[in-house]
Amino acid sequence: MSAPQQLARWPSARIDEVARLRAIAAARPHLAYLERTIDAPLEVVWSIFGDLENGVPRFDHYVRWIRITERDGERLKLESNGPFGGRMRFDAIYRPGWCVMRSWQGEVGMAASARGPGQTRVAHFEGSRFLGAVGRWKFGRSMQGELATLARLCEEKSRAGG
Amino acid sequence: MLAAQRGDVLAMSLLLDRLAPWVARICGGIALEQADDAAQEALVQVFRDLRTLREPAALRGWARRITVREAVRHAQRARSGAAHASDEAIEDIGSELRDPALAPDLRAVLALLAPEQRAILVLRDLEGLSEEEAAEQLGVAKGTVKSRLSRAREAFAKRWDS
Repeated sequence: MSAPQQLARWPSARIDEVARLRAIAAARPHLAYLERTIDAPLEVVWSIFGDLENGVPRFDHYVRWIRITERDGERLKLESNGPFGGRMRFDAIYRPGWCVMRSWQGEVGMAASARGPGQTRVAHFEGSRFLGAVGRWKFGRSMQGELATLARLCEEKSRAGG
Repeated sequence: MLAAQRGDVLAMSLLLDRLAPWVARICGGIALEQADDAAQEALVQVFRDLRTLREPAALRGWARRITVREAVRHAQRARSGAAHASDEAIEDIGSELRDPALAPDLRAVLALLAPEQRAILVLRDLEGLSEEEAAEQLGVAKGTVKSRLSRAREAFAKRWDS
């Protein structure tokens, strides 16, 4: 067996999108971080969780609207409503199962990976650069409700046939 | 790299793209069945402590040391109580594995080595480190690396030539 063939057969760990988001969250202690398993396939979950313009406002009640203003491969520029009526602008890296966003005010991360038949593990972080631990507490509380709503929407869509 | 150290989540996402496949291969070859957990722990440690790295150019060596340590630790924990080959017994592995009915399975061969021997194989043959560098990374004498490597390579050669 040649060296390239051996390398191709070399055992490898599985580092999925949720595992990657955990690593980033570990580096940013001010972020609120939450995971949840949803009883719906990855495609169904990402069709809502990863639909920034139409899906996110359905489960995150702080987000009334999001618009993608520029797209260059997996790099996006976004605008959304701000918490006090203004606008927030984000730079993002977006790909299936993965989205991290950064604005001057804060950061958002979303990841989804398939887990077993018909189940998906989702991970989510949010944080403010200025609110610190207060922001982590505040975002942590609201994110529990957001992921519960997301799970309900995804499971309903899955039961209805995707 | 500097942006990732400052906590920029987009820069961290790009750094993960570079590091994750490499960490997955190192952990895969050393920790085997525990590779997923080892890789997760290694990435969490690397990103959590990223800001403490004074010389960005030293990233690979620093991250490799963390990753190998986690992989060996997870493999040792799983191994406790399980039978494994001693340095001397490894020379006989090849003849035990010469059954042509068995398809070549790199993981099966690696599983017959002790975690420390797998670590040496990974550092020397996968990562291309010198004996001195491998010994320094593992905190053992150069002679130990040399003897363990020779036995591990011999077992490998017998397996692949059979």
